[in-house]
Amino acid sequence: MNDMRIVERDVETREIKIRGDKVQVFYGDNHAIKDVDIEIQDKTVTAFIGPSGCGKSTFLRCLNRMNDTIEGCRVEGEITLDEEDIYNKQVDPVQLRAKVGMVFQKPNPFPKSIYDNVAYGPRIHGLASNKADLDVIVEKSLRRGAIWDEVKDRLDAPGTGLSGGQQQRLCIARAVATEPEVLLMDEPCSALDPIATAQVEELIDELRTNYSVVIVTHSMQQAARVSQKTAFFHLGNLVEYNETGEIFTNPKDPRTESYITGRIG
Amino acid sequence: MSKPHITSAYDRDLEAVQAHLMKMGGLVEAAIIDAANSLETRDEDLAEQVRRNDRQIDEMETRVNEEAARLIALRAPTAVDLRTVLTVMKISNNLERVGDYAKNMAKRTSVLVHMTPIEGSASDIRRMAKSVELMLKDALDAYIQRDGALAEDVRLRDREVDQMYNALFRQFLTYMMEDPRHITGCMHLHFIAKNIERMGDHVTSIAEQVIYLVTGEMPDDARPKGDKTPYMAEPRG
Amino acid sequence: MTDASANTPATPRVKTSLLELGERTKKRNAAEARFKLYGMMAVGTGVAALLLLLISILSQGLPAFTQTFIKVNITLDESVLDPSGNRDPDEISKVLTFSYDPIINDSLKGLALELSAQHSEVTADVLQDMISAEAKGRLRADVIANPDLIGQTIEYEFLANGRIDGYMKGRVTRETAELDGNVTPLQLDVADAMIVEEKLEKRFNWAFITAPDASELRPEAAGLGVALMGSAYMMAIVFCLALPIGVAASIYLEEFAPKNWITDIIEVNISNLAAVPSIVFGILGLAIFINYMGLPNSAPIVGGLVLTLMTLPTIIISTRASLKAVPPSIRDAALGVGASKMQAIFHHVLPLAAPGILTGTIIGLAQALGETAPLLLIGMVAFVNNYPESIFDPATALPVQVYNFTQRSDPAFVERASGAIIVLLVFLFCMNMIAIILRRRFERRW
Repeated sequence: MNDMRIVERDVETREIKIRGDKVQVFYGDNHAIKDVDIEIQDKTVTAFIGPSGCGKSTFLRCLNRMNDTIEGCRVEGEITLDEEDIYNKQVDPVQLRAKVGMVFQKPNPFPKSIYDNVAYGPRIHGLASNKADLDVIVEKSLRRGAIWDEVKDRLDAPGTGLSGGQQQRLCIARAVATEPEVLLMDEPCSALDPIATAQVEELIDELRTNYSVVIVTHSMQQAARVSQKTAFFHLGNLVEYNETGEIFTNPKDPRTESYITGRIG
Repeated sequence: MSKPHITSAYDRDLEAVQAHLMKMGGLVEAAIIDAANSLETRDEDLAEQVRRNDRQIDEMETRVNEEAARLIALRAPTAVDLRTVLTVMKISNNLERVGDYAKNMAKRTSVLVHMTPIEGSASDIRRMAKSVELMLKDALDAYIQRDGALAEDVRLRDREVDQMYNALFRQFLTYMMEDPRHITGCMHLHFIAKNIERMGDHVTSIAEQVIYLVTGEMPDDARPKGDKTPYMAEPRG
Repeated sequence: MTDASANTPATPRVKTSLLELGERTKKRNAAEARFKLYGMMAVGTGVAALLLLLISILSQGLPAFTQTFIKVNITLDESVLDPSGNRDPDEISKVLTFSYDPIINDSLKGLALELSAQHSEVTADVLQDMISAEAKGRLRADVIANPDLIGQTIEYEFLANGRIDGYMKGRVTRETAELDGNVTPLQLDVADAMIVEEKLEKRFNWAFITAPDASELRPEAAGLGVALMGSAYMMAIVFCLALPIGVAASIYLEEFAPKNWITDIIEVNISNLAAVPSIVFGILGLAIFINYMGLPNSAPIVGGLVLTLMTLPTIIISTRASLKAVPPSIRDAALGVGASKMQAIFHHVLPLAAPGILTGTIIGLAQALGETAPLLLIGMVAFVNNYPESIFDPATALPVQVYNFTQRSDPAFVERASGAIIVLLVFLFCMNMIAIILRRRFERRW
């Protein structure tokens, strides 16, 4: 019977990439994340869902220390990447962010050419020693971003001139250009139309073969479509974390059930 | 299948659930044939195997239904995709019923092998089973090809099965009147024939589901009924 | 399911027509129309005031760009101008303007002879009073610049006296000449005669822009050269100092500085500094740069430093505003691909903020260019008629020169002042144009 078992759902066996242990986040006096324990697997798409203000974006931003730039934000507990504490004093956030790339809600290409957008990361990290290497990296990244065919003839055109969906895929290509191990996506499709969304989702599914992808989304359907594991956040708590099919067909916690079925709860 | 979805995982899920269904169809076809063969060749082991395999069919049905529910939950299918999933669920249900009838045939076969055979009846039943199995195969082909015409053809062929059943009914009635010792065997054989007739009805339902899948509408004209036995009285003469 | 509102009885709806305007709608529309009218009136008032200002300045100032010249034939006597005869510029320089008097007098006699046909009373003395006191100085300068002229008879153009120039521009009439000790009606008649003989001509006067200031007695010779150079020097100093200091300070405050009470105080003070009267900066400059540091009086360096101090708050405020205007998504994007904070700022934020920063800087420069009060205090109001050779030499500035011209009694300076204002306005206009062009060219969508 197992021959018919759909392989991608077999997530429990993958190795753990990121582990959060009793993570607390405070914004000043506001306790935004409470006691979150989570294990995020490698080569898996993990979705964070939950109502607005539930802390899912906050938690996501903890994973590459983007919260450092916010005044008055404090993180307690332990978050490890490959068993290394990312909040250790010796960790330089810049180095961490090279490993943990991020794609944002609004497509935010630099107001530069498509080529420069993708080449920027490799340039500052010194990943290419000469122009030819850089060309290779740019092409590879744009291919992974599933946008190469659309832009290969106009790499010098400004990235801001692309359509919303193309811009977002360009941003994904830019994020993968630095060879990260984890990709964080903060509502990557909320500014896109359904077709562009579907394209980005397809891309996320392809990225799964190489990266651990963590995606925050307001759309439960999107979480259902792209992820293998889903975490439901509510009021700063991680309420339920399970295989996506389980969450959407048979949630264990009544709060999860209320949320995904659209009931008041 | 029509054009692929942008999200290829959607296609994979849809294909997976349908592949399950087809595999289940294959198992059910085999069960029909094996049950009929075991009756004709008085092969108790084969009958036993048919009974065991039914559990597998039941498990497959559960899985197909789970997959379909999952697909609805995760992908929110619409239009043809929605019809596909709904159809898959109904067809799996029909197949499971057909499998159950085959299992029932096999059970009765296990009893019948210990009795004196009734002349010609086993081969008639096998022919009938063969014809239902062909209908099922065509119905599943029609599903795969999304072939409405073939499905319509299958639907019409149910009348033949009904007629075969009518003939067998009369035959068994005659046997039982001739010699009361045949009554036990004939009763079992009659139930087997009835099972096959019911299988035909389920296959017809599958064909109707295919038509619904292709056209989006259920065939509304009344299905040609060939089962005359409800009106049958004692044979005259 | 507990839909209570569905059970409340619906209030009966009054039937209204869309084609009739309701009472409230009419009132609203009237208010809107009134407001539009007020707005148009306000704009109209502003435009009218501006037009009035421009017309008055242009009508008064444009004559300053033309000047009246008197054409004479002049024999540059070698025995007077270059006794040694070897055309050595040093030797020629030793001949003072005093020695040029007889030469000019001779040439004027010739002119008087030519004019006697038109006017019998013309004498060299009458003519002498008609040419500018600056004439011999200019002639000498030209001879020193071009010694080969010595010994030749050339056609030369003397600057006409301010009153004759005024007569040509309609400022002086026979009635005013009667009352005026500096000009006689006879001279005006002679001027008329010279116009007929084509000896008197009014044409464009570059010297107004290039020449240094001249004394009160010869307004016709006064120019803006020194003031322009002084202003240019100061602008260069302000640009070189205020831009880097201002941008560095803003970037630090906006991007790096921790938010605590010290930075809060600094921020408040920067805003306050922008509102401090400019004369206060003048006092500061006087006390610190001149009295304490001993920098020279009236020098562009001091003016530049004072104006830098004055412009800094403007530049910092506008730079911070344009840094703030760069969407945070760009910063996030750069940090997200692993850029350091400084890389994010210098590679991405600053280029995007550049048009805004430059616009702010240029507006700050324009403000500094037009500033008068602090320069008065550091002595740039002095009469300077030598070109400054470095930023440490005394100079004046355009707005101060305007102020200076208006202080003088001779009416000819009124048109000079207006002319200087036109020059100043042209400069400001050019700078604003540059600001607009920069903004247009570099402003990008994001």
